[in-house]
Amino acid sequence: MSRHGRLAVALLAPGLAVLVVFLIVPLAMIVVISFFTYSPTRIWVPVPTAENYGKFFHPYYLGVTWTTVKVGLLTTLACAVLGYPLAYMLARMRSRWLGLCLFLLVTPLMVSSVIRIFGWLVILGKKGIVNSALEAAGLGAMDLLHNVTAVVIGLTELLLPFMVLPLMASIENIPRAVEEAARNLGATPLQLFRRVLLPLSLPGLVSGSLLVYSVAISALVTPALMGGRKVRMLGNLVYDEVLTSLNWPFAASIAVILLVFTVAVMVAYLRTLRALSRRGGRA
Amino acid sequence: MAVGGEAVRRPSRPFNAWWILITVVVVIYLFLLAPLLIVVAVSFDPTDAFRFPPPGFSLRWYVAFFTSETFMKAFFRVSLLVALTVAVLATVIGGMAAVGLVRFLTRGRALLETLFLTPIVVPEILLGAALFLYYTRLKVSTSVAGLIAGHLLLAIPYVVRTVSAGLIGIDRSLEEAAMSLGASRAQAFWKVTMPLIRSSLLSAAIFAFIVSFSDINVALFVAGPESMTLPVHIFSQIVWQPDPTIAAASTLQILLIAALLAIAQRVFRLRVAL
Repeated sequence: MSRHGRLAVALLAPGLAVLVVFLIVPLAMIVVISFFTYSPTRIWVPVPTAENYGKFFHPYYLGVTWTTVKVGLLTTLACAVLGYPLAYMLARMRSRWLGLCLFLLVTPLMVSSVIRIFGWLVILGKKGIVNSALEAAGLGAMDLLHNVTAVVIGLTELLLPFMVLPLMASIENIPRAVEEAARNLGATPLQLFRRVLLPLSLPGLVSGSLLVYSVAISALVTPALMGGRKVRMLGNLVYDEVLTSLNWPFAASIAVILLVFTVAVMVAYLRTLRALSRRGGRA
Repeated sequence: MAVGGEAVRRPSRPFNAWWILITVVVVIYLFLLAPLLIVVAVSFDPTDAFRFPPPGFSLRWYVAFFTSETFMKAFFRVSLLVALTVAVLATVIGGMAAVGLVRFLTRGRALLETLFLTPIVVPEILLGAALFLYYTRLKVSTSVAGLIAGHLLLAIPYVVRTVSAGLIGIDRSLEEAAMSLGASRAQAFWKVTMPLIRSSLLSAAIFAFIVSFSDINVALFVAGPESMTLPVHIFSQIVWQPDPTIAAASTLQILLIAALLAIAQRVFRLRVAL
């Protein structure tokens, strides 16, 4: 091997070693375990079976899957609706406030999700801020948590920046002149959005949506703390089967299903992102 | 006449739309920042009633935080230690990989780049679950080292991306110029390229630190009783006995992360890494 090639191997080896030992082997193990037979005494026995995947079609687990898909879709929709105005504003800002606005967008994203969920519990909890306001107004306290809406609110707040960043990049690529031309021709703000901005920023919207959706469907902490026993998602199933029920073959099969699903969505996301950067490069 | 009427009305329309947009954006920002602001406010509440606005000001819950042995251990001896180790290791390993990818590979580069980004594609809870089963199978106790390995996986893609972006922006003829002036290849790299990618290395390290420090999804599976991180401890406190000490601990995390991001933003464009 050439000196050049040896250097390349030496530089890449530690990173590849980490990926193989701590990512590829453990994931391969999960796939294998998902086809093993569950044993109450020994957790699993290496007898191949498809039973774990069959069990998934029980109405209860299908219900959990449906909740997961529903929460994912609603969260994506909410992020798109809230993210668009924000992304548009940031993309069109030229002032020195832009740095601050980006900082305020990224900081919540980087703070641990458990802290942000804790904030929502203080706001929406049984003795929370909203409920004390309701009581002060003479209305009774309500259970604002433990429903799909609460989980969607929590996840939307958590994942909004993931929608805004690609969308903002996409809107930045639309020349201002295009917008001005539409306005000069008499387009109302709504027409401008529907006929000009939306079609031209579609790649950003699509990649933001795929990213938000793929992270939302693997949520664990948000449904655990805000949904409780009433709103259970696939992530909660994995957690309970791994750490409480100790049915690892079943946990592994749910994990594989979730993995296949998210990887498919993420591959689509990376494709749109690449298309987006190519377009940006040409513009 | 109709045209004239349009001309009079037109200037005011974008102006109004702009103000509506600003109002909407401010409301969205309030929604985005509400949980953090509330957590910070509650941490100064002299009572444990979680009221907003707090009826007074006290540092009682900060005293409770700094005198709680479990919180101290989770914050300093686990979370901080793990995050610093991950920042150093991920920057070295990921930085080397980025140099290898950008400078030494032509064939197979796209494939390896994709491989280095795969940990982002895999949901964090599945990384956590897979690592937990893996460690148990290997009969390795779930220790601080296991946690560091899990966080390395989360951090390396950020580092590879940030440092690659830094490297791609550098003109290679600078190194060639140094070499034609008598520098060896290694000298040219250390003296010319390294100073130029210092800012991307620093941001990469900061991102790696933050990713590890605020992770909950991997730690929830992998952290054992001896390696309980701050987010995991906060999670179990919320479930078992929520009191504003959690808010004090959270406020400290928010401050630390905000300060680090402010540094990162000074030296680097935040958006490249994300």
